Order: sequence, then structure tokens, then C-alpha cells
Amino acid sequence: MNPYILMTLLFGLGLGTTITFASSHWLLAWMGLELNTLAIIPLMAQLHHPRAVEATTKYFLTQAAAAATLLFGSITNAWLTGQWEIQQLSHPLPTTMITLALALKIGLAPLHAWLPEVLQGLDLTTGFILSTWQKLAPFALLLQIQPTNSNLLIFLGLASTLIGGWGGLNQTQLRKILAYSSIAHLGWMILVLQFSPQLTLLTLMTYFLMTASAFLIFKINNSTNINTLATSWAKTPALTTLMPLILLSLGGLPPLTGFMPKWLILQELTKQDLAPTATLAALTALLSLYFYLRLSYAMTLTISSNTLTATTPWRFTSTQTTLPVATTTSLSLWLLPLTPAMMAILTI
Amino acid sequence: TKNSGTQLLSSILHHQLLLPSITPLAVPKRAVIQGEYRRPGQPKKDKFPWQNINFSFSKGLEGIKKHFTLLKKEFTDHWVGPEGRPIVEHMLEQNRVVWEFRGPESLEEWTVSSDHEIGGHSEVYLKLGKNDNTCFLYGTLSSTPPRDGETRYSGYCTMRSKQPLASFDRKKHHDWSSFNTLHLRVRGDGRPWMINIVAETYFFHQKDDIYSYFLYTRGGPYWQDVKIPFSKFFLTHRGRIQDDQHPLWLDKVNTIGFTLGDKADGPFQLEIDFIGVCKDYAHTEEFAYEAYKRNPEV
Repeated sequence: MNPYILMTLLFGLGLGTTITFASSHWLLAWMGLELNTLAIIPLMAQLHHPRAVEATTKYFLTQAAAAATLLFGSITNAWLTGQWEIQQLSHPLPTTMITLALALKIGLAPLHAWLPEVLQGLDLTTGFILSTWQKLAPFALLLQIQPTNSNLLIFLGLASTLIGGWGGLNQTQLRKILAYSSIAHLGWMILVLQFSPQLTLLTLMTYFLMTASAFLIFKINNSTNINTLATSWAKTPALTTLMPLILLSLGGLPPLTGFMPKWLILQELTKQDLAPTATLAALTALLSLYFYLRLSYAMTLTISSNTLTATTPWRFTSTQTTLPVATTTSLSLWLLPLTPAMMAILTI
Repeated sequence: TKNSGTQLLSSILHHQLLLPSITPLAVPKRAVIQGEYRRPGQPKKDKFPWQNINFSFSKGLEGIKKHFTLLKKEFTDHWVGPEGRPIVEHMLEQNRVVWEFRGPESLEEWTVSSDHEIGGHSEVYLKLGKNDNTCFLYGTLSSTPPRDGETRYSGYCTMRSKQPLASFDRKKHHDWSSFNTLHLRVRGDGRPWMINIVAETYFFHQKDDIYSYFLYTRGGPYWQDVKIPFSKFFLTHRGRIQDDQHPLWLDKVNTIGFTLGDKADGPFQLEIDFIGVCKDYAHTEEFAYEAYKRNPEV
């Protein structure tokens, strides 16, 4: 893509999120969300394949519908209560509408059906931006509204963890696996939103780190399905050994970073007398763990029959930038001992 | 006066014998809108719509049983692995036979058609070959165009696989993303066939997008193993090669078909033993055709 256009679009992405972060009026927040959607549309369609255009169209339709519902909800709130402030959302009807609109924006179940197909049609870089950056602005809004309907949020959370686990079980395409893992993680974030928004933010940040390392490692290996991933031992042996740990971190096993949010969320849910919810969430996390383990089995624990007949690629010097992989990988593995520090940072 | 009278009469009659106006009508005639013209090849519409219903209770019950069995199978397969097979099988798979003609039920997955549907004179039939071991597509090609005033060329016969369906007639796709070559075992009669692959599309305009390649058959009594990499398939739309080419994505393939349209009238036959996909490690080409911009900016 023309570098000036690319710069403009990335700037638009950043600007949209920043506007939503900085806004206290619903119209400005909506404008930031729309700017985000519009800026990423050309990035998604730059690979001129019909499937990429299909993914772009599906993304645009769902995000536009969500933004319209958001606008409708905020206008309804203004009509009923006279308030345009984001934090003064008091009437239950617009609150529910806005919560559902934001759930559609980020891809929570049962409004998740677009996410696997959209991610599958994109290349890995744009999929990465969609999975991480595009979730920031809706979460900024979700964190600020005081939800009056606790049952809705618990339903969204449990449905997401369940559907994220169940749906990802059968996939061989890596982008769809990451889409379902995203749905499951978002479920965990929403579960604890009404009790402790700081934990939601913590889960979001750790999810970003882990997904970033997953996407970047897939990009380095240029693999989009499990069979191609199985040849990564010949391309990047070091990353092949680290990847199971990252996948286990995504699955939420101690002593890796991914355990931190899950532990704190389960603790918070139990304190709020929601022990059955906590149990159900923990059990559905096992489903997700199964497909992460399957990925690590295919990648590291087995040598695949896809023999490479040429010189193994790891012998050549690579031109790929490795700093982002190194940073995100390290952070997604070793942050658990810093839990008190992370809690302190986010409580302020 | 008699002469002038007949002259006047004949001029009136001649006026009535003038051909109808050939200028395009602003509003089409009622007969055209309401479909009184039957295109050649279309079936006659002499039954009322309600006479086309054949309600059968037993068929309905069978259908319910079939769909719920398929649904249960989908749930149980989900626990086993992708497409109902364990992941180890998916990882180790290098060849897969997708269509094998070993019994009459294998012919249920295919549908044949020819230009008889538009009023042409070709015929095509599909049956099982000797010992129920192969499928035998045969018929006669006739390139006489149908006489409907607008078709100029005709003469094609095709055999196409049906779209795989999950429970309740939902579309299912073939996932060939771990393979890169199409492997057929055919015995033809020397004619050039076209292999058409239809992938899953989303927009209405892409309904007729077909990825094609050629299959040149030898006529001999010996079987012919044909291996065509998927990177060679080029994009066509309604039979015309497109300028904007892109590779075929193999993760959602709907149907495969064989078409004969080589303008040579006469009988033809094609015998297929199996159709499979395989992974050729030596084939590293991603796409055989250049996808450069035709009008690059300066």
C-alpha cells in the first residue's frame, strides 16, 4: 500500500481510539468508534481477494449496526434523562441497549458469529490489529457505564467462555482458533466488569500481550493452519519451544501470566457470592485449554511429516523484526510474580 | 373506380401487413412480462402451482430422521476432531480420495447437465462403469445452437458434484487447505475437458465465479493419472477469463465439475476412477499467473 495512505489509515485508527478515550459525551465517543471502523476498512481490504472483501463487508455491517445501536441508546438516554455524559447512564433500557451494542462491537457471544469469519479472511497483521487495538475503544466505554443489569453481563460472560471454548475445538485454521480464544477471553473480562473494572482492564492488557505474541509468532512462521505450524521447528526452533508456554499462558495455567487474571477474577466472583458462576467459567476454560494444547502438540511435541527438502530456514538470517515478538513473549510468560504491582497500577 | 377501390383496399391491407415496430418498447408487452414465451429447453408450465405439491407423510418422517441423525453425528464428531477425524489424521494426511465411484450411491452426489436445458441438442448420461468400479459419463455433443434468436453458440455437457450438506440442508464446504494438488484417474477419449472448481462466495455478483483448468485426455485403453496443482486454476466468471486474477483459497470449496465444450460434434465418453487431492511437497508455486496492476500509477 502507498506509505502515505497507510500512515493516514493508521493515524486514523489511533485517533479514533484516542477520541473515544478522551470523550465524556456520547456523540464524541460514537464518532471515535466510527472513525476506527472506517480507518480499518481499507486496511482489511488491501489484500484484493474476494474473501478479504467479504470479511471487510461483514465487519463493516456488524460494526455499523453496533454503532447505530449505540447512538440510538445514547439518544434514548438523553431523551429520558436529559444526560449526555457517558458516566451518567442511568435508565436501564438505554444501558442494556448500549451494553449489547458494545458486545456486538467486540464480539461477545451470542453476538460473536462475525468474528471467526472476519478474522479468517484477513492477513495476520490486520487480524492482529482487529483483535487487539479495536477492542480498546469499546472497552473504554464499557468500563465507564455502571451496568444496572448484572444478569445480562453474567450471561454474556458465561456464553462467551462457553462458545469460545466449544467453537474453537474443531478448527484447523489458526485465525479462527484465535478468534474463538478472543471470544473466550472477552467473556472472562465481562464477567467481572460490574464488580471490579480494574480486573477487566488487567485481563484486557494481559490478553493483548498473549494474543500479540501468538499473532506475531504466526506471522514469523507465515503459518495460517495447523499443518504449516507444524513445520515451524525448521524455521524458528527457539520460538517453537516457547510457543507451548505462550499457549498455556493463553489457557491460564500457573505460573504463567495468563493465570493472573483468571485467578483474580475467580477470587472476585467468589467474594461476590457467585461461586457457581466461577465454577462454570473455570470449567469452560478447560475447553479452550484443550485446543491450545492441541496447537502446542502439533507444533512442538510432534515432528510433522512435512519434511522440507531444502536447507532448513533457520540457517538463514531473517529480515523480520524480532523485537515485538521478544517483548510480548517475555511479558506474556513472566508477569505472574508481579501481580501485586499490576493490581496497584490499575487501582490508581 | 373499382381499380382505385381495390387499390385503396390493398393499401389498407398492406398497411396492416407491415411488420410490428422494431423500436424498443418503453414498456414490454404483457406477454413478455407475464411469461407466455417459453424459452427452448424450459419445461412446459401447464400445471397449476398447487398441483406441483406432493405431500408425503412417510417422506417427511424419513427426512426428520435423516436430519436429526446428521445433527447428532455433527455433535459427536465435534468431540473427535476436525471433520470428525482425530487431529493426528489431519496432520499426517497427504492424500485424500474425495470422490470414489464404487456403487450407485456415489452417483447421487453428482448432477449432469447439457445444453438441452437451453434448447440445444446435446445429450449426456451418467452411469456406473464396468464392475461398478468407475463412473461413466457419455453422450453426444451437438453444437447446433437453439433457435431462440439470441444464442449464437452451443454444445456443452457437464458433470458437477453436488454441494455437501450438513443437517437441515445447511451448506458444508470441502476443506482442502492441507493439500495443493488435484489428482484424478480418468480414461477419456482424447477430447479436452475443463475442470471447474467453485469456491464459497458471499456476494451475489460472485455467484458464477469458477476456477478452471484444462484436462487433456488421451484416448487409449490405459488409465491416465492427472495431477493438477491448485495454483494453476484461473478465475473465470460466466465462462470468461477475468483480468484480475487471484489464487483459489482451498478452505471452502463447494463443488467440482467437468465440462466438455470443444465444438466437435459427436459422441464422447469419460470414465473416472477416483478424484482425490494430494500434497505435493515439491510444488512450491503459490499462483501461476501474474497478478500485477494493469494501469500502475506513475
